[in-house]
Amino acid sequence: MVKRNPAGMHMESAENSPGAGTTRFRLSGAKALSPSYNSKNVIQQRNHLPATVAAVLLTALPLVSQAPPPPAPPAPRPQPALYRNLIVLDPAHGGRDKGSQISANSAEKEVTLAFAQRLRPALVAQGFTVVSTRDSDPADELTTDQRAGTANHVRPLACILLHAAPAGSGVHIVTSSLVPPETTPPPGRAVMWNRAQAPVIPMSLRLANEVGLTLEAANLPVLLMRSSVPPLDNLTCPAVAVELAPLKGSSKNATSAADAGYQQRVANAIAAGLASFRTHNAPPPNAIPSMASPRAGVAP
Amino acid sequence: MIPRYQRILFWSLVGCILLMGAFLLHGCREAHKRLTALNDATPIAAPTAAATEEVNLYFASDANATIHSSRAQVALPQDTSLKARALLEHLLAQYSRPDSAHPLQSGPSVDDVFLLADPAHPNAGRITVNLHGSFADTHPSGIEVEQLTLDSIIGTLHAAFPEFNEVRFLVDGQVRETLAGHASLDRTYPLLDTTAGPAVPSEAATQP
Ligand SMILES: [Zn+2]
Repeated sequence: MVKRNPAGMHMESAENSPGAGTTRFRLSGAKALSPSYNSKNVIQQRNHLPATVAAVLLTALPLVSQAPPPPAPPAPRPQPALYRNLIVLDPAHGGRDKGSQISANSAEKEVTLAFAQRLRPALVAQGFTVVSTRDSDPADELTTDQRAGTANHVRPLACILLHAAPAGSGVHIVTSSLVPPETTPPPGRAVMWNRAQAPVIPMSLRLANEVGLTLEAANLPVLLMRSSVPPLDNLTCPAVAVELAPLKGSSKNATSAADAGYQQRVANAIAAGLASFRTHNAPPPNAIPSMASPRAGVAP
Repeated sequence: MIPRYQRILFWSLVGCILLMGAFLLHGCREAHKRLTALNDATPIAAPTAAATEEVNLYFASDANATIHSSRAQVALPQDTSLKARALLEHLLAQYSRPDSAHPLQSGPSVDDVFLLADPAHPNAGRITVNLHGSFADTHPSGIEVEQLTLDSIIGTLHAAFPEFNEVRFLVDGQVRETLAGHASLDRTYPLLDTTAGPAVPSEAATQP
């Protein structure tokens, strides 16, 4: 089922699968829109708005240009730490930013979008709700700060950045190269925008490992790497970047990252890896009554 | 009727002209050779006091995303800043060889290297590497390939200057978001040994 929420985000939910929790997400997601998200949405729709809204637009513009979006306004009741069935996909590049040239007639921005469109149904089949930072090729590219703002706002179980490369081999699972802090910062303390990922690095490494295992099980070559690919360092959710490099089999010619069959195999393996990550790291709250208090922040 | 002595004189003069012509032609050829020999395109080395040193170079390999170190004899200037720049230029020049495991385009790569030591903290200096714009512009785009270039530079600097603990990258003197669309240049990197290759997923690391 495809619908648009008030923020204009494209959402697809698996209502037929148990535990998808779509209704709850939609309500709170619509209620707790941050000012930065609203203003960005206004910008995207300005072609359709009457001139009377122009004044509102002008006052909202400076908010968009500020690099770190302000945190969401205090909610009337405490928000859950994360939505265990929500995944954010970020097909990298787009607009004037074409990325690298994958083959003679496909740029990276097209390959990442096509890959996201294969990954989405695979995730929905595993009972996940998917939010994507883009569903088309926008005229103006999204800044990495806008992408991070979208992902941080919705509190997903995991954020997956999608890239492709014309060289190298196999699937690269990339975790931020930030060093996690020695002491856990107390909750509610402001997080530095450039180091937002640092406290969740151990979770991101576990996520990379889980996805790597399912890719290996699907006979796909995997490399786990560390690199600060924007906006990886700015994400507050467990996050990895997946880089599809050519698949070099026993035959001489390699399968390009633009190949539909290759993308589908990787998409199925990533979805299985995320489901396994959810089982190990965010079990449903009612499944473990004895651990109810530490898991209180996890929404079903 | 032309007298006999006049005919002899005429032919002698013709012979002289031919001889002189041949001599002139030979002289021209010799002069041309001498001039082209001088016109060699090789730039003359700057007169710096360079002594050959043994250094550790950290080389990247695209096939398995690894960095391996290898020892090499490189002529390096005495001045620390010039030495760091010469070291990095030598390292990055190796990648433009035809048999390179991490192929990069040849050309100028490093404009300057600044080393800022902190006298209060002996092991807390910062190195700033100012990359040449064309190096970043022609660098292949991709997470793996860009990160390997950075890891290669970081490992080599760490081995040569252990008293410095972090590095920042500029391109043409400006902060740039990424090297070629992926690896961030908008942050400080700790200087450490980058030889550890990519990890492989393990069953043990799945449990929280
Ligand atoms: Zn990319």
